[in-house]
Amino acid sequence: MYNNLDNQPRLQRPPLVPQPDPFSNVFYGAGSGLIRDGLGAYGERFLGSSSEFMQSNISWYFSNPQYYFQVNNQYVRNKLKVILFPFLHRGHWTRITDHVGTRLSYKPPIYDINAPDLYIPLMAFGTYVVLAGFTLGLHGKFSPEALSMQVSRGLFGWAFEVMLLKGLMYYLGSSESPLLDMVAYGGYPFVGISLGVLVRLVWSYALYFVMPLGCISMGIFLVKTMKRVLFTEMRTYDRHSSRQHYLLLFIAMIQFPLFYWLCKIGA
Amino acid sequence: MAKEFNVPPVVFPSSTGGNTSTIGPNQTGTHQRRIPTFTPPFQPSNPNPTQHLPFMSFDVGSATASSSFSAPVFSTGNGYSTGMGGGPGSFEDELPLLEELGINTRQIWRKMRSILNPLKVNPNLHADADLSGPFLFLMAFGLFQLLAGKLHFGIILGWVVVAALFLYVVFNMLAGRDGNLDLYRCVSLVGYCMLPIVIFSALALFVPQGGVAVFILGAIFVIWATRVCTRLVVELASCGDEHRGLIAYACFLIYTLFSLLVIF
Repeated sequence: MYNNLDNQPRLQRPPLVPQPDPFSNVFYGAGSGLIRDGLGAYGERFLGSSSEFMQSNISWYFSNPQYYFQVNNQYVRNKLKVILFPFLHRGHWTRITDHVGTRLSYKPPIYDINAPDLYIPLMAFGTYVVLAGFTLGLHGKFSPEALSMQVSRGLFGWAFEVMLLKGLMYYLGSSESPLLDMVAYGGYPFVGISLGVLVRLVWSYALYFVMPLGCISMGIFLVKTMKRVLFTEMRTYDRHSSRQHYLLLFIAMIQFPLFYWLCKIGA
Repeated sequence: MAKEFNVPPVVFPSSTGGNTSTIGPNQTGTHQRRIPTFTPPFQPSNPNPTQHLPFMSFDVGSATASSSFSAPVFSTGNGYSTGMGGGPGSFEDELPLLEELGINTRQIWRKMRSILNPLKVNPNLHADADLSGPFLFLMAFGLFQLLAGKLHFGIILGWVVVAALFLYVVFNMLAGRDGNLDLYRCVSLVGYCMLPIVIFSALALFVPQGGVAVFILGAIFVIWATRVCTRLVVELASCGDEHRGLIAYACFLIYTLFSLLVIF
């Protein structure tokens, strides 16, 4: 019985709507026990978050989500600067490796400016939603349904970016990057998008200046990051291939239509 | 039936079974004759087994045959009037309704007053979370929106749930292992700190729509709500102090979203 249940979670999608029940711990104890058996070697080290909901529903499918939230104010500020003005970043772009046991892992975001995190994408998405609400309202088209539509659009854009990046990784041969890394990288454009929407609130023609700048910056950021990710996970004879470069350029180009689609809110 | 028993027979193997010759321990031989049926000593002669009869003693001899029929009537009458079993007469003994539902109105009022002061925050009051205060606030919010012509009850409920989940996820992820904010308390906090937005929606009824005043008022109330919520979350969950700015931004987003409902 338990063997069957072990195989099943890998095929299922993780439930997107959590059902937290703070009054009864029985179910979560059982669920995380099963899942822990299925994980095997991952075990205790990666189930780092304290809340049982996180343990039982997400941690087996993604890598440890706790890692992406170890941020502080300084990291957030510097990372925002890197995202918006990547050409001013003087340092290198590679992630610092952390030697913990035999597994290759990277230092958490507090110590490494180049590490991806999930706090900034989440907050940037929230900011985008709020600013979209303001824009709709100032044009007189606000209604909660319209705002929900914008949320869906934003989520779709984010998912599209994630799939694009993940597909690129698969196509170019390396498939070891954790999914949450791609989710984080796919969420960074929302910083630029939010800025674009904000500027558009102030003066609608400013968008035509800010948006290309935003797109180019995001393109540079993504290309540099992806290049490093690819290089760390590919075999040496495949480096410097032109196919790689064309695909990276494609990622940068796709930012333009994405930005345009998401910044155009209602009007 | 015509036999005479001194006492319900205690069978000792050594005794010579002299029922009639031995005198029972009560020395009341005459009473023994009146026992109508032969029952083992520990089983009560119960004419109606569903009634709660307070069987006083084992010496059934004291309950004479004549009174053994009237006694059940009296005892069951006593039983009902003293609230045994909660029959139809015992209304006074139930708990008051609000207490039974767990709604402590005095506590709600105290918590409300503590939120009304934006500068000083008292986290001990909010240590025990309850959802009835937030429910009241959300109803009031919906009511004021209704007065403004917008039917937003379901939307408010849905948005509060999503916002509380958002804050729960962000806070627990940021705080790491020590984060002990559970979802119930999170919903309770988000709901209580909604009070400034409720006041804002009441005031926005009197301010011309679309003017600058609404935006300025909105900004003030949103900052008030954010401040209170951040402080409460950080102090109640006892470990989020170094992430205060990050949590504050999350709360700010939540309350700005609700103020959008009011302004537009």
